[in-house]
Amino acid sequence: MLFPTLTFGLFFLAVFTVTWAVRGSNEWRKILLLLASWIFYGAWDWRFVALLIASAFLNWSTAALIARSDRPAARKALLAFGVGANLAILGFFKYFDFFLEQAGILLTQLGFARDMPLMQVILPVGVSFFTFQGMSYLIDVAKKRVPPATLLDMTLLMSFFPHLVAGPIVRASDLVPQFQATPKLERGMVAMALLLIVWGLFKKAVVASELSVGLVDPVFFDPGAHSSLDLVIAAYGYAVQIYCDFSAYSDMAIGLAALLGYRFPRNFNQPYRAHSLQDFWRRWHISLSSWLRDYLYIDGLGGSRRGTFRGALNVLITMLLGGLWHGAKWTFVIWGALHGLVQMIETLWRKGKPGWAPSLPKPLAVLLTFHVVTLGWIFFRAETFDGAVAFIGGIGRGDWANTMTTPLYAGLILLGLGMHFTPPNMMEGIALQIRRLPWPLLGFGVGLAILLIDAMRYEGVAPFIYYQF
Amino acid sequence: MGKPHSQPHGHQDSPVDLPGSQFIGGRPLLWTTGTIFTAALFLLLTNAKTIHDWAVELEPSPTTIRIVEASERWQAMTDHLGLGAMRAHVHALWKQAQATRFGTEKAEGE
Repeated sequence: MLFPTLTFGLFFLAVFTVTWAVRGSNEWRKILLLLASWIFYGAWDWRFVALLIASAFLNWSTAALIARSDRPAARKALLAFGVGANLAILGFFKYFDFFLEQAGILLTQLGFARDMPLMQVILPVGVSFFTFQGMSYLIDVAKKRVPPATLLDMTLLMSFFPHLVAGPIVRASDLVPQFQATPKLERGMVAMALLLIVWGLFKKAVVASELSVGLVDPVFFDPGAHSSLDLVIAAYGYAVQIYCDFSAYSDMAIGLAALLGYRFPRNFNQPYRAHSLQDFWRRWHISLSSWLRDYLYIDGLGGSRRGTFRGALNVLITMLLGGLWHGAKWTFVIWGALHGLVQMIETLWRKGKPGWAPSLPKPLAVLLTFHVVTLGWIFFRAETFDGAVAFIGGIGRGDWANTMTTPLYAGLILLGLGMHFTPPNMMEGIALQIRRLPWPLLGFGVGLAILLIDAMRYEGVAPFIYYQF
Repeated sequence: MGKPHSQPHGHQDSPVDLPGSQFIGGRPLLWTTGTIFTAALFLLLTNAKTIHDWAVELEPSPTTIRIVEASERWQAMTDHLGLGAMRAHVHALWKQAQATRFGTEKAEGE
């Protein structure tokens, strides 16, 4: 069930009506939200609802045992078991065939060619998100940052449909206290939620879909058949597409959760106005980057406690694993390595820079950062490493004929980049105004905006890019 | 790895938390419900084509046949009243924008 569809719209109207109708009983409300979340997830594949429930039960029971145990060694062993079980789920569904393939290649090169027992494992939608959520909950309980949750709250935390398949990764410390209290609406929250939903719908259904189908997909499918100019514009096009696709999902998820009375954290903050790669990761997929920082870089690797170089190396390791989190492909690892290496260089340069060395003017730093990010996106989007190399090689051919870019695509790319340079609090300002409107007027405005978007949208709805992760 | 604006392991800020007084206007649930259902009613009246397109994509069954027939009748009725005109007009303008070329690029499907 995709957010920008009529099926989801009807589903959400029913969920909104039913859950607010039983607001007198918070427990019943949560049970209904849980059932709705399972229906939402089961629309893809009912078998994986069982996996979701089993995963929630595993994390809840392990955390309960950790909380009851006084012995540090036992707590550590239980934590290792819980994190290992989550990684096993993720590893089986996401990386099993990949590692077997790599083992097969290695054995062939060593002269021991074997047919590997590949299983063509189906990837459950959102498995990377809910296993990360489960792991952070276990670590937080073990480190006594959060108290253990009830089974209902834990299951709902992992299953709650607005964030279930593509984030934001909402932590127990943020959401469980909200589940424990009866949610309340207020007009500002609702006004912002409606704005986020409409804006997300526009970014996904109009900008991302149009660029994807007409420009990006055909060029990335066969880079050799396109001119250098086509390749450059398609690379910029993908930078805009992935931003408008993924941030749209986050915006809609935050908006939908808010209409049900819950607050999700911010996940994007105008990422292409970043002046360094470190700044970029403060603005892009914030819930993942903060998760990786807190649980992998600091808790797992020790952060920068053992010196600047070790800290920078830990950033590289974190980014490599962050790349692999996106999928079992070398192109993702290279994307992570590029981000890690550049951040390593930034850290070492910042610490060891001689006093006389000038800093790059901010507009130039923004431009440079954007192009490093776009270079990374080529690896992220390409099907294979060879495809990415062919794409970059094609840009160097110097054939500047335009065969793909129409005025509409050029306009959408400029719009997608331009939205990064609007005042950061613009949406907030609009929400503060529209919360004062009478409901018939606001309802008419929301309906009109959705109608206009629907008239412009590309026929059919492609899944969100981050569904595959 | 950049350090996000939030504190490590702490509460993360949400875009739906606006500054200033939370108590603008009374009965926020009624206000929200009214807004959402007004928008839904507006779309029901003006966007019958999308409803029909959605209906024909449903898995065939005796129920969906009835839904498709009802959506056809609904589209015919709203079109007759001119309620679908705005969507059709904007869609036509969008199609024009899609067809516009700088001059050298290939036409769609080539």
